[in-house]
Amino acid sequence: MGLLTILKKMKLKEKEMRILMLGLDNAGKTTILKKFNGEEIDTISPTLGFNIKTLEHKGYKLNIWDVGGQKSLRSYWRNYFERTDGLIWVVDSADKRRLDDCRKELHALLQEERLAGATLLIFSNKRDLPGALLAEEIRDVLELESIKTHHWKIVWCSAITGQNLLEGINWLIDDIAARIFTVD
Amino acid sequence: MSVMSNAPHKKSVVTNVGVRQAKARKDTVILDGDPVTEESLAKKGFVSPEDVLRLPRITENYLCSPEANVYDIDFTRFKIRDLESGTVLFEIAKPPSTDSEEADPEPEQEELDPNAGRFVRYQFTPQFLKLKTVGATVEFTVGNKAVSKFRMIERHFFRDKLLKSFDFEFGFCIPNSKNTCEHIYEFPTLAPDLVKEMISYPFETRSDSFYFVDDRLIMHNKADYAYDGGLQQ
Repeated sequence: MGLLTILKKMKLKEKEMRILMLGLDNAGKTTILKKFNGEEIDTISPTLGFNIKTLEHKGYKLNIWDVGGQKSLRSYWRNYFERTDGLIWVVDSADKRRLDDCRKELHALLQEERLAGATLLIFSNKRDLPGALLAEEIRDVLELESIKTHHWKIVWCSAITGQNLLEGINWLIDDIAARIFTVD
Repeated sequence: MSVMSNAPHKKSVVTNVGVRQAKARKDTVILDGDPVTEESLAKKGFVSPEDVLRLPRITENYLCSPEANVYDIDFTRFKIRDLESGTVLFEIAKPPSTDSEEADPEPEQEELDPNAGRFVRYQFTPQFLKLKTVGATVEFTVGNKAVSKFRMIERHFFRDKLLKSFDFEFGFCIPNSKNTCEHIYEFPTLAPDLVKEMISYPFETRSDSFYFVDDRLIMHNKADYAYDGGLQQ
């Protein structure tokens, strides 16, 4: 029995997934997290650390980590990579000025060895804002087509209205489950 | 649903995670290894996660001093919400400390009970034991040193019966950070007889919350619980 098989079996028993949510500051990570869990979203302030939620969804125990995206905090992101099964990269699709920065940060993350096995979901957030780019446009600006190392998908959403949050997260979970929990 | 809270000390704000519970059913909770005694741990000098997981009952005393918290970890908010109704059942927040407050440390109270800040008393109504899905949030701040391998173990007992043991590793905490953690979980089904007893014997439901950094105990908080709120009037 190989190590990978043993690891798969351990995870299978617990059916636990660790999901890390990152992105530039003000992308809407905390709002997504709260909205997805049915919490009020009217008093959200910049995250100066992390927000964790543990919950059951689709029969899995999800541990979702939302880590602050301010520039001064990004050097700490690497402390949260270990054992990550899914990475959610949140983009403010109306913040055109910082999309270049956004692309660089994302592609730097994808070089990380400890994130090598993670499924990648890109949330093109703030679709409700006037002037927001389409998910297809975000895909091109972020050069997602060049990603060959990870399973990825881009989904537009609005954290404020909750539109498409469930669809995106369900895709992520299904992809992770297909990779990890398939008993061979 | 009404939930009452009655903290006995002004300063005993949010030092405990209340009714948060592990998913483990009560009949599957087992002691992790041979039991240890509180006395033997007190002699040992430091306390590890493995040690507290082997404690067979609630502790009589605190297993570390308040000064052991060299990382200035401070619990600043505690909240419980019912996911079925979407209502917040309980929320308590510590006012941000200011210089003027620190200059006025209420010396009398400090002298009375040095452990006031790490004990909380909760008074709930019987309906609390009937909740199905709840979310329990803690918010905490970290001092100017990075914290590695931050882990919480919380154990709830009714008398000498271990109801649940909850174990979660936060891992790394950023210096000067403010962090939150919400555990959303299904309330375990408790036997009706046990529920009746927990209601009849207030404050015999008790919990120990142990916090570790790098596998060493740095904080120990306690709480007790009554579920007879609204019954005595």
